[in-house]
Amino acid sequence: MAHLEVEGICKGWEFPVIDELSFAVEEGEFFVVLGPSGIGKTTTLRLISGLETPDAGRILIGGTDQTRLPPYRRRIAMTFESYALYPHLSVYENIASPLRARRLPANERDKRVKDVAELLRIAHLLDRRPGEVSGGQKQRTALGRTLVADPEVFLLDEPISHLDAKIRHELRTQFHTLEDLRKVATVYVTHDYAEALSLGDRIGVMGTRGRLEQVGNPRDLFERPANLKVAEHLGQPTINVIPSRIRRDNNGLFLDSETGDLRLKLSGESEAALAGYSKDHVIAGLRPQYIRPIDEAADGMELLSAEVDVYEPLGTNGIMMANLGSMSLTALTDPEKHYETGQKVQIAVDVSGLHLFDADSQVRLTGIT
Amino acid sequence: MAPMRRESDTDHPEWFQKKRKSRPLIVARWVPIALVGLPVATLLAIVIYPTVWMFYHSLRDTNIQGLFMGTHSHIGFSNYADVLGSERFQDSLLHLAQYLTFGACLQVIIGTVLALTLYEFVKSNAIRTVVLIMLVIPMMLPPSIVGVLWRFLLTPSNGAVNQALLNLGLIEQHIEWFNAGISLWSIIIADSWNWVALPLLIVYSGRVSLPPAVYEAARVDGASQWKVMRRITLPMLKEVIAIAFILRFTDAFKFVDLVYIMTSGGPAQSSELPTYIAFQRGIREFAVGEAAAYAIIIFIISAVIITLFLKYMKGVMRARGFA
Amino acid sequence: MNHATGAMTAGGTERTQDAWRHVRYLFLAFLGLWIVFTVFPLYFMTITAFKSAAEANLTVPTFWPQEWQPRNFIGVFDERTNFNALVDSFVIASANTALSLFLGSLAGYAFARFPRQAGGENLAFWILSNRMFPPVAILVPMFFLFDNTPWGTDSHLSLIILYLVFNLPLATWLMMVFFRDAPVEIEEAAYLDGWTPLRAFFKVTLPLVIPGMISVAMLCWIFAWNEYLFANLFVGTAVRTYTIVIPTFTHGSQTLWNFQMAFSLLALIPPVTLFILLRRYMVRGLSLGVVKG
Repeated sequence: MAHLEVEGICKGWEFPVIDELSFAVEEGEFFVVLGPSGIGKTTTLRLISGLETPDAGRILIGGTDQTRLPPYRRRIAMTFESYALYPHLSVYENIASPLRARRLPANERDKRVKDVAELLRIAHLLDRRPGEVSGGQKQRTALGRTLVADPEVFLLDEPISHLDAKIRHELRTQFHTLEDLRKVATVYVTHDYAEALSLGDRIGVMGTRGRLEQVGNPRDLFERPANLKVAEHLGQPTINVIPSRIRRDNNGLFLDSETGDLRLKLSGESEAALAGYSKDHVIAGLRPQYIRPIDEAADGMELLSAEVDVYEPLGTNGIMMANLGSMSLTALTDPEKHYETGQKVQIAVDVSGLHLFDADSQVRLTGIT
Repeated sequence: MAPMRRESDTDHPEWFQKKRKSRPLIVARWVPIALVGLPVATLLAIVIYPTVWMFYHSLRDTNIQGLFMGTHSHIGFSNYADVLGSERFQDSLLHLAQYLTFGACLQVIIGTVLALTLYEFVKSNAIRTVVLIMLVIPMMLPPSIVGVLWRFLLTPSNGAVNQALLNLGLIEQHIEWFNAGISLWSIIIADSWNWVALPLLIVYSGRVSLPPAVYEAARVDGASQWKVMRRITLPMLKEVIAIAFILRFTDAFKFVDLVYIMTSGGPAQSSELPTYIAFQRGIREFAVGEAAAYAIIIFIISAVIITLFLKYMKGVMRARGFA
Repeated sequence: MNHATGAMTAGGTERTQDAWRHVRYLFLAFLGLWIVFTVFPLYFMTITAFKSAAEANLTVPTFWPQEWQPRNFIGVFDERTNFNALVDSFVIASANTALSLFLGSLAGYAFARFPRQAGGENLAFWILSNRMFPPVAILVPMFFLFDNTPWGTDSHLSLIILYLVFNLPLATWLMMVFFRDAPVEIEEAAYLDGWTPLRAFFKVTLPLVIPGMISVAMLCWIFAWNEYLFANLFVGTAVRTYTIVIPTFTHGSQTLWNFQMAFSLLALIPPVTLFILLRRYMVRGLSLGVVKG
């Protein structure tokens, strides 16, 4: 049985925010809700925690309906985006707060706080106030406060988004190694797809009104996005979106961009995807890593002439915006190459990375219809 | 893609259209009502009940005996007619206008000028603090001390003010501070001494909390100090100064104790304010009906003004993320 | 043409800046004058407190005491009732402050945390408006109301309750402002830690508003300590506040100015001390929360 079940919850104030959201998280599972800011991710967590009451739907924890239970009676721990540490209490007291609320004996409390602090490497800060520690340490304190509580469900609201890159990476690794998080149901909310892919056992991509566009493991989501929105949300730089026309002739199946600048011969998987698709138009999605500037063509490779518009060298790779006639494409380049604006380049397109979406509903075409 | 947050009503799902306010989980619904209920009940008892009582008696010919014996009868609005038609009331309105202009308004202007002078031209923090504390001390005095002190200072024959002015050669003979035509000015002087510190403090603190970044930008642009004052400081302090005005204005309608202590409205009713007459008629002479009419008239005037002020304040509070 | 305009603007700026330099002295002179205007009465009050009764009533007042008489400060208490007046004022102001703060905190908290359920913005503004209404409207009915109670008008209790008219709206409003300053998320975090609302209030919310609460208390206390109008009408025999005692220092037809001033100076000590200690918080309260001190 799933540990946390959210059944068709609805919530709205002046306008609907969450409309019939359902999902379930197993015990020990790390479930990531990914979505742009303002879409209702935090509201979802607040509904699960009981800080808000749903207008409809049920929330089950450990199989019992807790929809009507006030937050202080649920066994839920939650970190806030703003950390919400008690500024007047020491780091120790902040972490000890859930234990004090439960009136745990002093020696046991002391031991558990110190253990958690040790684990999170903030043991030397226990006497300080939250105002006297760094952002990363604040986040560790907030995390410590949730870990020590020994809850049934963990809710983590953008826990590392506001930290700088180095600490973000460090904490991200720590999430992997925190045993406590692996024993309960965890819901982790973020707008950063890299965090989601790195941490999630499963990921739910949230769209308008809290609708889950797709739920699946990271690989699934990245390789088989259910619709254009999901494809656009995962991956940096963003996937190239190419509205296209389907053309069949004696040589096979072709994809022509609406601008007419790009003509691709489809084969294999992408050809199969179009089976049973009756419309002339389709939306093609192609991630930048499948478009590469090439010096010498290998056998059978089709090359296109393009002109560099913008080039950003990023160290481990480069991002090139190239103009192909009236069309603009984003391509990933090798780090050792450098390009100038206006430079003419040859571009190779790998059609195996092509995603095809219905021109109207923007749903992924799988060919099985 | 940014989510579409504003959608047409017809687009709303069914549950949303028929949803009621959901039950809060944190505290029961009656808790906030009870928390607010106690103070509201208290205020109903000590403010609303007496006001209604006053309104009732403003329509009756109540005097002190009538009140105790329960013999007073309904006379319609004739108390109001008497009050509104009396020269005494009309004069007192003129006095109120004089007090509002040269008391309340001028105090805010002086306080603003002093606050900005202190902040812009006095650079030492220690001196600023000392001056501020010095200027604020009069505000900490009760009206009885202020009244007694100024009556003492302004005594025509042997008062300290006349003596000091004589010594300095500013006047040739004693000023009769409590003669008709001057006595209200004396009250205004004492009141200003007492209360200029309030707008001063508020504007000064408002100025202190303005972000320095704006001023650095202006300095880079080479704007003159006067221009900075007119284009940046004053507009940004607009709301703060408005609050000072509101506070002094509403106080002005409550103002009665200094009049009572310093002049008792005299000589010959030349320094009476409407509130003072209500006080005098009701408390000293027990013409309850007439005093009630005065009180209700003042109540209505101040209700209108307070409503306007609060509306403005609501805007200010909202802009600052409060209400 | 363009060039000429440019030159004129530049010249104009220089002139304004030059003029500004002179204006600055004008403003400073005004500030100086106002300081003299403010300090002179305080100075005269102080020296009068040290004069003998005869000297304080001289036809030509002296600006330096011919003979220092610090005994005045003890002399004012020769009549025990004068000391009792300070005690009465203290009792009334303190009790009223405690009551205002207690009731005001309840409502302020409700307004800050559950604005809709508590009646909303308009109710909060209505409560505040009670502070602004002229008290003359309620003097007479309240007098008769208290006259009919067992303890009568001439009692501590009558003033303690009456002063709620101005202090309760102030305390409610300001506590609302201060509770709003304390982030709601901290309280929510406490709920999730397992603290019930009541325990969460005492554990995290209350400690955060204590500084605000102290300043509200001080403000209420000063207003109650200095109140004159109600006290003058309601009490005077069994209970006397110091504010109504001051005008009564006379000996025959002679006003004992030296005693009045000495007594005033003593009464001035608590509010001025409070102000000096807490002036930064006080401004917040005096401006009804709009200006952050």
